Amino acid sequence: MSHRKKKKKGSENVELNLAAMLDMAFQLLAFFILTFKPSPVEGQINLKLPPPMPVVGAAKGQAAGDNNNNQNAVQAFESLVISVFSTPGGKISTMAIGEANVAGVSALEGRLKAVLSDANSPFKQVIIQVASKLRYAELMRVVDVCTRQTLPNGEKLTKLSFVELPTE
Amino acid sequence: MSGSMNSEASAEPNLTPMLDLVFQLITFFMLVTNFKAASLDLNLKLPVVGSARPLETEGEDLLILNIDSVGKLNVYGVTQNIERYIKAEAKASRLTAKRLNPNFKADDDLPTTIVVRADKQTPFNLLNVVIKTCQDNGFRKFALKAMNKEDG
Repeated sequence: MSHRKKKKKGSENVELNLAAMLDMAFQLLAFFILTFKPSPVEGQINLKLPPPMPVVGAAKGQAAGDNNNNQNAVQAFESLVISVFSTPGGKISTMAIGEANVAGVSALEGRLKAVLSDANSPFKQVIIQVASKLRYAELMRVVDVCTRQTLPNGEKLTKLSFVELPTE
Repeated sequence: MSGSMNSEASAEPNLTPMLDLVFQLITFFMLVTNFKAASLDLNLKLPVVGSARPLETEGEDLLILNIDSVGKLNVYGVTQNIERYIKAEAKASRLTAKRLNPNFKADDDLPTTIVVRADKQTPFNLLNVVIKTCQDNGFRKFALKAMNKEDG
């Protein structure tokens, strides 16, 4: 019997075949590249929109604060009414705060600031009466102006209501 | 000098660095892929409002309504009946609110925020249908989406 000396292999090299793993990795990469869609960064304006409550308006032709017999000023004038009329194309034509006409969006901002900064101002919310054809982009300009205002109590004006004006 | 000539020379590229790089790319795309964007109708052209700011809404219950320029409500690319869809969502929101807060009453305001993504050309009367339907079903919190600068 011849003894065969077992030749000890000093080191066995185990070689990993990376080609298969690389194939899998490319598959995953292709999936994520195809499903990658950069979404645009969108901003938002947060609002509280309660359903519009009926407003106790002033008598026709009467300006706010004129009626000395009105003992309950808060009930009548808690809501500031802004009216926005549109052109047939959907752009803003005229605006009004209460009964007073306002020239444009920048004039609206100035007027709103003046009204709401008054410490005695009773307004807690704004009702925006909007012409039916007014485009959303134009409405957002008005909403933007309103939400930039601060109420006399220091809170931001976020309570709005929308009312659709009857079609002429 | 005897030299043995190798008749075949085989070159095996080392795939390890390439695999590393591919894993780097996969990790990048896994981190930036946002599947929530599927709920946004990217065909809509939102209005531009300078003061619109992206707000952190993580954890908030949101209902995204995509309204196109003809007043149609699109959800994941499918046009939905406004009243039916919002009623169903309100019911689901009410159930969730009741489950999270046992004191939640049926006529309480819903905690869900309605995210309105409307096209800038949408006329107000069509948008108002959606807003009124939401209000009639108990939604009070709204977020009007806008871009804070022009695209491109």
